[in-house]
Amino acid sequence: MTAAGHAPGAERTGRGAPQAGLLVGGLVLLAVVAVLSIGVGARAVAPTEVVRALLDFQGTDDHVIVRDVRAPRALLAVAVGAALAVAGALIQTLARNPLAEPGILGVTAGAGFAITVGSALGLAVGQAGELAFAVLGSVAAALLVAAVGRRSPLRLVLTGVALTAVLSGVGLGLRLVLPDVFDAYRFWSVGSLAAREQAPLALPLTAIGLALLGALLLSRALNALALGETVAHTLGAGVARVRAVTLVLITVLTGAATAIAGPILFVGLIVPHLARRPAGGSVPWLILYTMVLGPVLLLLADIGSRVLLPTGEVPVAIVTAFLGGPMLIWAVRRYGAGSL
Amino acid sequence: MSIRRSAGLVGAVALALALTGCGASSSDDGDEASGSAKTRVFTADNGKITIPADPQRVVATGYAVPALIEADAPLVGISSWQRGEPMMSDEDLATYTSLPKVAGEQAAETNYEAVAEAEPDLIVIGVPAPVLGDIDVERLESIAPVVAIGPTVPSAWRDLSRDQADAAGALEEFDARQKEYEDRAAEVAARYEDVLGGLEFGHVGAYGEVAKGTFQREFSGSWGTNIAEDIGATYYGEVKEPGPGSRSVSEYPSIEELPESLGEADVITYSVQADGSVPEAVRYVMDSPLWDNLPAVKAGKTFPIRYTEAATHGQGIQTLDAIDEAFAPLLDR
Repeated sequence: MTAAGHAPGAERTGRGAPQAGLLVGGLVLLAVVAVLSIGVGARAVAPTEVVRALLDFQGTDDHVIVRDVRAPRALLAVAVGAALAVAGALIQTLARNPLAEPGILGVTAGAGFAITVGSALGLAVGQAGELAFAVLGSVAAALLVAAVGRRSPLRLVLTGVALTAVLSGVGLGLRLVLPDVFDAYRFWSVGSLAAREQAPLALPLTAIGLALLGALLLSRALNALALGETVAHTLGAGVARVRAVTLVLITVLTGAATAIAGPILFVGLIVPHLARRPAGGSVPWLILYTMVLGPVLLLLADIGSRVLLPTGEVPVAIVTAFLGGPMLIWAVRRYGAGSL
Repeated sequence: MSIRRSAGLVGAVALALALTGCGASSSDDGDEASGSAKTRVFTADNGKITIPADPQRVVATGYAVPALIEADAPLVGISSWQRGEPMMSDEDLATYTSLPKVAGEQAAETNYEAVAEAEPDLIVIGVPAPVLGDIDVERLESIAPVVAIGPTVPSAWRDLSRDQADAAGALEEFDARQKEYEDRAAEVAARYEDVLGGLEFGHVGAYGEVAKGTFQREFSGSWGTNIAEDIGATYYGEVKEPGPGSRSVSEYPSIEELPESLGEADVITYSVQADGSVPEAVRYVMDSPLWDNLPAVKAGKTFPIRYTEAATHGQGIQTLDAIDEAFAPLLDR
């Protein structure tokens, strides 16, 4: 058992080297997809100019597009993809439910409701305003859910679902009564990575970075929790403490990702399923794989959002929704739900 | 028991129908009473409509609201038209505020009961043809003749507002305002004649979608350009893939295409709010490093234009004043 103090999954599966090889392969794939993402866009930029923009910036239009528009967008895709995927892995492990996804704790609904209320009050104006309200709503929703449902994973999920229903209903009511609010909300409600390069993103990106680090540090303790509360107690894991910290991490990851890009479904659900089999039941490996595969999936979806339609760009959340459904069916049929 | 109740219900329904019938009769009587007035056939979006030659009680909706208020038409009810409020004169705003609102901002928010209560002898609908489907025109026609005169391309407001005023029998005041506008346009055009010649203009509109990373480029004949063209500005280029209505004179490229779209402009104009503040969609463009690379920006030839939504001659005069003020630095060079 790898409850604590050992290399991720090595003892349990006896195949640490292949898993490390897979991780390196995943990182190479991530690098390739990231470069591709920086090279693709509405304006044709020669590959040599893309490289030159990154290594020898001259300030030409091509260089500005690569460095100031596309590179930040690729960075956001990496951060948001990793955040949602790891949050998905954490919530599925914590709730011991393969259908759990980051939004199930009401964080996404909290952000959407806060945007709605902020727009109605005329305060959620511009990207910075929307970002602030989304963070506020996410944190408030997470605190409420944690306060009500902290005693058991099932109660936690039920509280999250109930809060999501309530906030969605009240938010919808407000938007139907106030057409201007609906207008502001509809752009936010379909998650996108476009045009975020001018938003103040240092804080949410830092939060995501710290939370990802925290997830890695916590992953060994989660290994014990994944076996069930009783077993975890027997193994000496501090169940209440681990659960509380995991909740905080899920909230920070999902809240920051949603604040940056709006709601993006399926990444948090599908990526843990894709990563679970190669992880071999080890939570640390699961976290590492999701941390790499999440960005790969979101970068690919974002490239697709730019090139799929001749009429122009579509929000990335629509692409992930199209990709996510078939991929989930494929993953479930191919591997089953995997062990949790 | 239940049979007795049913009988009572049938009786109540019969009474209600009888009362409704009486209401319809009195309405018919009213039509007959005014039937002696002269009529004429007016061609509108919804066909050839027989309307009173000299309407006395007009209901206006959509773009017809500011046009008919300005033309001093005999209005008895209007739709809400908040977008036009910042451009209304004090007198027109007072009229707008005091008139009964028979519809909301959207065509689908038409209150048919309120329209009927206003007892109009003519209803002028000023919404685009595709939006006409949101209105039960037949129901309105049961109240009074309905003429639909909606916007097509942005620059057509001149003809459309004239048609609306014509239908409402208010051409006299309309012509006076039109002359006022044309005189002011000629005056401003004369002032800038020497500096505008040979310059190519480009315009950034306020309706880009920041969430999609696009901006609005407006060409000749669009909301942001058509009045500046009346004083001699030349907006170059054309839409790559024209669509209906305003899509024929404006497009929504990615921010990455900003250099390609406006790189040849000598002067760039951009839409701002009535209070001079820069809308988010325009701010997104101006905050981009690509904006700073544009030749017109480097040359300092970028000018904000207020009141680009002008759709009447009175509003257009305010736009002319705003352009005159914005372009003033060109006279110093």
